[in-house]
Amino acid sequence: MFKKVNSAAYSGLKSIGIDVEINTSKKGLPEFNIVGLPSKAVDESEERVKTAIMNSNSEFPQRKITINLAPADVPKEGSFYDLPIAVGVLASTMNFNLPEKSLFFGELSLDGTLRHTKGALPLALFAKNNGYKHVFLPEESANEAAVIDGLNIYPVENLDRMVAHLLGKREIEPAEYEEEKEKKIKPEFDMKEVLGQEQAKRAAEIAAAGGHNLFMMGTPGSGKTMLARAIPGILPPLTESESLEVTEIYSISGNTPPGSGLIRNRPFRAPHHSISKVGLIGGGSRPKPGEVTLAHRGVLFLDEFNEFPRSALEAMRQPLEDGQLTISRSRERVKYPSEFMLIASGNPCPCGYLNHPEKECKCTPRQVTNYRKKISGPILDRIDLHIQVPAVDVEKLKKQRRKNEGESSAEIRKRVIKARDTQEERFKKEKIRTNAEMKNRHVKAYCNLPEKTEEMLSQAASKFNISARGYFKLIKVSQTIADLNDAEKISPDHVGEALQYRIKMDKN
Amino acid sequence: MDRKVEINNKKYPERLKKIDDPPETLYYKGNWKEDLFENCLAVVGSRRMTKYGKKICTKLVSQVAGRGITIVSGFMYGMDATAHRAAVSVGGKTIAVMPCGIERIHPSYQKKLYKNILKKEGLIISEYEGNLKAKKWTYSKRNRIVAGLSQATLVVQAAENSGSLITARLTEKFDRKLLTVPGPLTSSVSMGTAKLIKEGRAQVVTEPKDILKIFDKKQSSLDFKKGKKIPEGNNPLENKIMTQLKTEPLTPDELSRRLNVPAQKLGSTLSNLQIKGFLNREGDKYLLADG
Repeated sequence: MFKKVNSAAYSGLKSIGIDVEINTSKKGLPEFNIVGLPSKAVDESEERVKTAIMNSNSEFPQRKITINLAPADVPKEGSFYDLPIAVGVLASTMNFNLPEKSLFFGELSLDGTLRHTKGALPLALFAKNNGYKHVFLPEESANEAAVIDGLNIYPVENLDRMVAHLLGKREIEPAEYEEEKEKKIKPEFDMKEVLGQEQAKRAAEIAAAGGHNLFMMGTPGSGKTMLARAIPGILPPLTESESLEVTEIYSISGNTPPGSGLIRNRPFRAPHHSISKVGLIGGGSRPKPGEVTLAHRGVLFLDEFNEFPRSALEAMRQPLEDGQLTISRSRERVKYPSEFMLIASGNPCPCGYLNHPEKECKCTPRQVTNYRKKISGPILDRIDLHIQVPAVDVEKLKKQRRKNEGESSAEIRKRVIKARDTQEERFKKEKIRTNAEMKNRHVKAYCNLPEKTEEMLSQAASKFNISARGYFKLIKVSQTIADLNDAEKISPDHVGEALQYRIKMDKN
Repeated sequence: MDRKVEINNKKYPERLKKIDDPPETLYYKGNWKEDLFENCLAVVGSRRMTKYGKKICTKLVSQVAGRGITIVSGFMYGMDATAHRAAVSVGGKTIAVMPCGIERIHPSYQKKLYKNILKKEGLIISEYEGNLKAKKWTYSKRNRIVAGLSQATLVVQAAENSGSLITARLTEKFDRKLLTVPGPLTSSVSMGTAKLIKEGRAQVVTEPKDILKIFDKKQSSLDFKKGKKIPEGNNPLENKIMTQLKTEPLTPDELSRRLNVPAQKLGSTLSNLQIKGFLNREGDKYLLADG
């Protein structure tokens, strides 16, 4: 008896429909074969499906079972073909019909229950875009898929319920999307706790408001890491569409916990500097997303920037510039989004004490040059804000602090959200969302530069030897400062402040 | 063409002849003028100088070199290079005594400084010909020429048992004046200089005048302006910033706290002052342009 069950496969973030064809035949010895380029995980579904069916109230047929995953030339990966295979086998032996326009998806446990399976949200999106009506998937993954309107998402607890539903004995209720209880963003530090560093805090605010990349250089213990870890607290929440993008990436990479819904907080990724190039950028023979993609719409924090492998840093050029990257391997070519905010921090030299007021630096100029050479000009050039984080005298600051406490993250966040709203409004006809994403034509079209400001810009350009790219970068940062100050035009003062954050490479 | 001056040549600096083992031949690059050797101050110090040392060295040397005194040093990175640079920056004369063959620039990445020294009619000298590499022993041999050429040696920052102290010892041996500047005792590169002061071997200098006195320069040339003139700012904040910077260089954060001005406002004012050329930035601190 022949049955066809619909399911889907991924290539990057794209899904394609997969037909799971099942034929059970009384002729021949009982056996179980999967064809159609199955991976190890798919091949092993034989044992899971057999055992799960035997442990449910159904019987596993003693027949020759042939399963074809079509199209046969697309490599199949993952454990989610368990459910379609099991349903197909049962439908073929028990001879019931499958509802039309339905997708099946999910990993089976040996006892017949369905496990949380990665990729539920992209599957639901695929179902909607391709005219499917019903999606059957594990109970724990259902909430994630239920985000998509216009589909019947059936949360399946186990195989018995599945069969009962399909035989029309006991219907499964379609799932309604339930927003998770608001998870409060709890950054490790509040901006209030960062002692001193007024300029660095302001730079962080500008970076968060405009989505700019930020590079902090300073001696050990000056508070760079603390500042970076406080940044999630001043980031605006994800918008509805951003939320969907982020959840999709996390779902496909298996980073969504069971029962979860849409991700509402901006991702904050802080990989260790021992990370490989593939780990950072993504890759593998079936290309997986790397940290740059997992940080999409959020923050990628690279502490000890100079210690990262140079090849990994250089590979970040394209994602930094274009906000997306294409990973090409012999088997497939996938495109991942990578619109992230880079926050990098580093020491001025290997020992860390170059330019320290008291401690002497133990590095030779050659060591310093080599250390700095690890980060190439093109990478630094793609970072809009550069700040020096000087060493602080903690005792002195504590005294001052009693008088005058710094702003809390919540206060700063309010300004950031307002500035982001302004940008959203400005770019509503464009594909971009933030000032940092502006290309030169956007700068020309949207940045309001009065004559006085132009004058200041050209003065600064000649005085500080600013390159063409640097010039546009300066305007972009000035625009964010203007947005933070709720100003319609960019004033010379805004440019003046932006100038504070340009690259300053002091040697010695 | 080999350019060299032998010991029996009358162009050979008199003062250097007086030391125990003067080099037989001095190879050189640049224009050999005898008046270059008339008033020489050796400036030595740690390679691992701190920001403080760099600042003091620059301040003293630029004032001294600006009044026609030749600054002699060893062309090493750190204090040596700072001294050469400071001299060159005010158009002063400076002599770099190389620890390697005359054809070699060591360290090679200071090529720009090398060229600048020659451009400002300074001199590069060495007792070694050709392309000889610097060895451990050539450094200390070199130090005797640095000390031997000069009436006085100024040690700016030195760790204990450092090469700078070798030069200091040689200076005493040749019966020349030994000068030093006080440094913070928290820093290991202050230990050598502190020892020189404690043992009463070196004279402490705190201002350029102290050095110039040794060279018997006329009082009129010692007429220093008391305090820097602050340029007139456009608004009260600009003036306040410059008044603060008159006494010491400060980071934007320190300025922001002292003047109680938010960082964003301060930033734009600082940039404005920089564009006008009133302020310079060094590392993370701002200082007055003429400081």
